[in-house]
Amino acid sequence: MADSPKIRVPKTAKKGEVVEIKTLMPHVMESGQRKDKDGKPIPRKIINKFTAEFNGKPVFSANLEPAVAANPYLQFFAKVEESGTFKFAWTDDDGTVITAEQKIDVA
Amino acid sequence: MRAGIVAVGTVAVVAIVAGAFIGAGSTGAKAQTKKVAPLDLSAAASERPWKRYGNWPSRDYSKFNTLANLASPAAPKEPRKITGPIAGNAENGAKLVADRNRGGSCLACHVMGPAGGTNLPGNVAPDLSEIGNAGREDEWLFNYVYDGRVYNPETVMPPWGSHGLFNDAEINDIVAFLKTLKSPAVFKTVLDDPNKRPAPVENRDNLDPIENPGMWTVDQAQALWKKRTASGFSCNTCHSNPETQFKTWAASMPKWEPRLDKVLGVEEFITRHAATTTGAKWLMESEDNKAMSVYLHFLANGNPIKVDTESAGAKAAIERGKELSQRKLGQLNFACTDCHGISANKWIRGQWLGEPKGQYDHFPTWRTSQLKIWDIRQRFQWCQVNIRADELPPDAKEYGDIELYLASQNEGLKLSVPGIRH
Repeated sequence: MADSPKIRVPKTAKKGEVVEIKTLMPHVMESGQRKDKDGKPIPRKIINKFTAEFNGKPVFSANLEPAVAANPYLQFFAKVEESGTFKFAWTDDDGTVITAEQKIDVA
Repeated sequence: MRAGIVAVGTVAVVAIVAGAFIGAGSTGAKAQTKKVAPLDLSAAASERPWKRYGNWPSRDYSKFNTLANLASPAAPKEPRKITGPIAGNAENGAKLVADRNRGGSCLACHVMGPAGGTNLPGNVAPDLSEIGNAGREDEWLFNYVYDGRVYNPETVMPPWGSHGLFNDAEINDIVAFLKTLKSPAVFKTVLDDPNKRPAPVENRDNLDPIENPGMWTVDQAQALWKKRTASGFSCNTCHSNPETQFKTWAASMPKWEPRLDKVLGVEEFITRHAATTTGAKWLMESEDNKAMSVYLHFLANGNPIKVDTESAGAKAAIERGKELSQRKLGQLNFACTDCHGISANKWIRGQWLGEPKGQYDHFPTWRTSQLKIWDIRQRFQWCQVNIRADELPPDAKEYGDIELYLASQNEGLKLSVPGIRH
């Protein structure tokens, strides 16, 4: 529950409008560079990829690297021409893919 | 005789009706809130022995007052005699007055000419940039630093010498530095001037989970609410409709609890109530306890704080809380009211001292500098460690008294939890 992604997409927009989208994924983003109390390296565990698509078409994606801080927050813009659904996906190093989606009504 | 039988019969009928009403489940919500909530009264509500948080300073302040114990040395009655002029090292004195490792040192409260590179001095106390022109005797300067209470018993200035923060040689160096201060401070930026530095404004949307990670604990708590313990019960067993049942509850806390002979806050209530109902072990300051406290406050968001201040127990507790808030604590010898009364709305170095009103309505709060939720008791504890006093366990009765006193000063402010602060 606590590590569910938080997203902000406007509920409605005008045709052709550029909308602002905010996404935040709670995640430790362990860089793999740190050592624990006994001097052993703490294994890397990060979200390495983020994608956003609208009605099946990619609108934004990002490859995240170990230097990105915990709880990666990404904010971007997309032009919407029709009503539809934004789908977001975060890929963890361990292969898990966490997804979220939200509809937008375009008038 | 007849009248007696009728009376007994009536009582019995009433009792049955009341029983049926409580048994009716959700429709009995009103009756339920009037019932005395079961509490486990058998043990402490936090770890014993209490151990200070791992990343906090581990210094031992047991030689000084705490909220529970009086230990500080008495103030000297007479100034110490200084024979002959003080020959200190002014250069070293300039370093000492800005030493952040000595309880913030002088610059925390005074502007002192070029000291510390004029980097964010405070304005709690007079600007000393021209003290060298004031014609003060060496003995007066020495004693004011050593223990200013010999000249002004009401001073909030720490007794740097008699509480062992600076030794005599260091105070001599500070005196030598003070005598070099003869012209107004020249600030590098407007922000460095505490009288021009704008008061901080907190305007983030604390209830937006994108802005405030503290909001994520609400999700955690909602899951915990339904999680059954080994007993087979969860919070949800009795409280299946928390949104309505706890719509105002947290705004009425803390309250005097006669069964424990102390003031009970939301967090301690959670520990004791869960222990005796579901059996969940939610000690104060555990992550689960804090999450539940955030959630229960969150449910009452928007409701004005309104605590019981009228009952005899509450009145006495508030009176004690008020008295404790004036007690001098720790090596720095500060009372709550020194910073949050006399010096409220001023700068202590780069930190703004708030007044009591506005220090309660957002707790538990997310701390961006700690990446953690802090409840009000942990905030109290940090106040003490920060002024070099030993903290008490979070369930200490003294904190209950102070919490109720603080809540009474925040009456009418609307709850907005979790807050977000530095």
